[in-house]
Amino acid sequence: MQATVERTDRATISDIIVVDADIHINDTPAALAPYCEEPWRKSLEILAETPSRYLDIPGFSPTLKLDPPIPGGHANRSVHTPAEMRAELTAIGVDIGVLFPDNLLLFAPLPNIEYAVALSHAYNRWLTAEWLDEEGLYGALLACPQDPVDSAREIERYAANDKVVAVYLPTAGVNPLWGHRTYDPIFAAAEAADLPVLLHSVTLVSPAFPCQLDQFENHFGRQMLSHSFAMMANLTSLIHTGVPARFPKLRVGFTEAGIAWVPYMMWRMDKYYQEYRRMIPFLEKRPSEYMKERMWFATQPIEEPDDPKDLVRMIDMIGADRVLFASDWPHHDFDHPRALLKLPMPIETKRKIMGENALELFGIPKPVGKIAGVA
Amino acid sequence: MPEHVVGPVAEFPPGSQRLVRLGRIEVGVFNVDGVFYALPNVCPHQFGPLCEGGVTGATACSAATGWKFAWEREGEVVTCPWHGVEFDITTGRSLVAPDRLKVRTYPVVVEDGQVKVRL
Ligand code: FES
Repeated sequence: MQATVERTDRATISDIIVVDADIHINDTPAALAPYCEEPWRKSLEILAETPSRYLDIPGFSPTLKLDPPIPGGHANRSVHTPAEMRAELTAIGVDIGVLFPDNLLLFAPLPNIEYAVALSHAYNRWLTAEWLDEEGLYGALLACPQDPVDSAREIERYAANDKVVAVYLPTAGVNPLWGHRTYDPIFAAAEAADLPVLLHSVTLVSPAFPCQLDQFENHFGRQMLSHSFAMMANLTSLIHTGVPARFPKLRVGFTEAGIAWVPYMMWRMDKYYQEYRRMIPFLEKRPSEYMKERMWFATQPIEEPDDPKDLVRMIDMIGADRVLFASDWPHHDFDHPRALLKLPMPIETKRKIMGENALELFGIPKPVGKIAGVA
Repeated sequence: MPEHVVGPVAEFPPGSQRLVRLGRIEVGVFNVDGVFYALPNVCPHQFGPLCEGGVTGATACSAATGWKFAWEREGEVVTCPWHGVEFDITTGRSLVAPDRLKVRTYPVVVEDGQVKVRL
């Protein structure tokens, strides 16, 4: 049974272009320091010498780690060079990937505005200078919610770079949520540059809604809600201030919350749109229609129901054109492309979800053949 | 049932965990307190390299422990390095879903000072 599954997968993966909407590069203070403006470069140089833990560097990736360590579990992985990333993606059958940071997933709660701006510049310089020459690696610019006007200039600065294909909106702990009008310059710049914006969260305990996860006794509880609540809250925020109506060409992607929450939000928002339209008259159609038109949803961590057909139905409800494969490589809950490829779906649907949708969304030219070769 | 000699018993001391390739398949050989076990190095979840994971005990908490955390099965649990699913080395069954998420176990014998795995 297992052998059969593997054989089918190999046959399938060998001719399907796999585009991965969410992979992570290890953005240490030491790596970013040379790209950072003074005096904040000095801060990064000090942090580079300070003992730090994974996704938990004071003044850089601030979070509260609340759990006692328990033996067992699996190691945290990180990727430090483009060549390493290329080799690892090839090993799992991914041809093309869109890069996100590790530590700067925790960027939004940094309160020092000038430092945050300098960090965002440094990350974008480092990303574009060191990572994007490697075949199949594309970048998402880091947006700086702490200074949306500067962030808009940053988007303009990189708009012509063919390997910059999106704008990453740091979502964990962002306050106010992304629908607030203060962020309009970022959306205007992204729309003008024809770059989709991608929301990405991470588990974080912070006073910013919906990250007040302090009352959960262990990480399981926090992990259940961190990404999914962040996506639901920010989707609601974007809709309730009319972002998709005010920016009619803006495309928005949601990552790392799986996809099963999406139909629920479509139906729930449509229901209350009927009741409360008078409060949100800028919407010209039902929220689900905006979602089906210009919002994309990345699969990881893909739900694993007992009956895989349930998941296929879920994908149909969202629309197979709006679902993007994502692995989240190299993080602890990454999905192998097989997790999607083994679903009972027509091959055309698999092609879309595994790669074609993303190529179109990101404007990436279709490679002539597999970059990842045949594993 | 083809039998494969995987090496002299001295190379598999108690507490050891070794990967061996037997024809087309890779097998993890574990010595748990003097008793040998062998499992395929393929996790039934997303096919990660199960036997490359760490070997530890596992937490437990039930009416039997008075609903207090206990530490059990020291040295009998391997954790898949991909997504952390724990497997009982002695049975091949996962702790989270013993009947649904499990791997087979291969018989291991020690004869003439050699460790042999039967596929
Ligand atoms: S592949 Fe082993 S836990 Fe997922």
